[in-house]
Amino acid sequence: MHELLVLALIGLGTYAMRAAFLVMAHRAPPARVARLLPYVGPAVLAAIVVPAFVAPHGTIAFADTAPALLAAAAAWLAWRHLKRNLPLALFGGLAVWWIASWAVSAAGGLGLGPS
Amino acid sequence: MTTLNPPPALAEPVIGRAVRDALPVVLAYAPFGLALGATLSATHLPSWIAWSSSPLLFGGAAQLLAVQMLDAGAAAVLVVLGALVVNARMLLYSAALAPHTAGWRARWRWLGAYLLADPVYALAITRFTGAHTDGPRERLRYFFTVGLVLWPAWLGLTGAGVLLGGVLPTSLRLDLAAPLTFLLLLLPMLTSRPAYAAAVTGGAVAVAASALPLGLGLLAGAAAGIAVGGWWGGRRA
Repeated sequence: MHELLVLALIGLGTYAMRAAFLVMAHRAPPARVARLLPYVGPAVLAAIVVPAFVAPHGTIAFADTAPALLAAAAAWLAWRHLKRNLPLALFGGLAVWWIASWAVSAAGGLGLGPS
Repeated sequence: MTTLNPPPALAEPVIGRAVRDALPVVLAYAPFGLALGATLSATHLPSWIAWSSSPLLFGGAAQLLAVQMLDAGAAAVLVVLGALVVNARMLLYSAALAPHTAGWRARWRWLGAYLLADPVYALAITRFTGAHTDGPRERLRYFFTVGLVLWPAWLGLTGAGVLLGGVLPTSLRLDLAAPLTFLLLLLPMLTSRPAYAAAVTGGAVAVAASALPLGLGLLAGAAAGIAVGGWWGGRRA
């Protein structure tokens, strides 16, 4: 039960952070702050995404990093050229990742490529 | 920001648009949600408690961190602290969305805060800063429609993952689904050079700072990216 309490506390804190500025929305932010706000999304999402592709298991290792980066590139290309179709880009990226991971591990098993 | 609405005949029904924007996101979130549910059910926590993180937190990254730390027996204080650091980006989302909700009644802003997860923020801000001329009413409808499509979908997907946890083949690897999903939320936001600069800086600093404890690397990257974006955007103006 103590786990439920911990999760509820996190939920409460998260809600407080989500509400913090929304509930004061009637007051316009100072111009210096307003200028920064458009860059919140790109900066935050890139800070989540880039480490996950470059170092999927916490460290940069060819066998993990190369397939992940290939998958990211494939998803990006698919999104750009296939009418911004999210599911297609996502599953395309996953498929490229599976194939590339398999290829890297197969090459490693044959003693090819960096290990 | 304009409050002029297009004439009704030209206005695309905003609720239909919101549903059409949100459904592909649900599909794109399916692998992540199922994988997260399976991970939740693989912990020693009772399944329903692990799953309750979906309605309580409504955000996969913090759910994963919190439940895995609890499973590993980490101290409650550290679990709460770690998850709140990961979720500190919600403060930034709240600040960035607030100007677009200025015309809403207070109760909708209090209610909307609960739904302010990554994909809801990403879809809403892309719509509100795009070429549309939505008034407060349309923005309210768009935001809540997106939220009320994504919220039950997330609860259902993670619930299905919990139930299917033992059935999904272990060879089906889905761990890259989460970053790919977030990448696809990021791409529509890259609409200018300063936005690219913010993303490149945020990503690079987060990688460089990834050794920091408690996921603080994410916050370091976010802060650096926002600063560089603001500086670059101000330089152009």
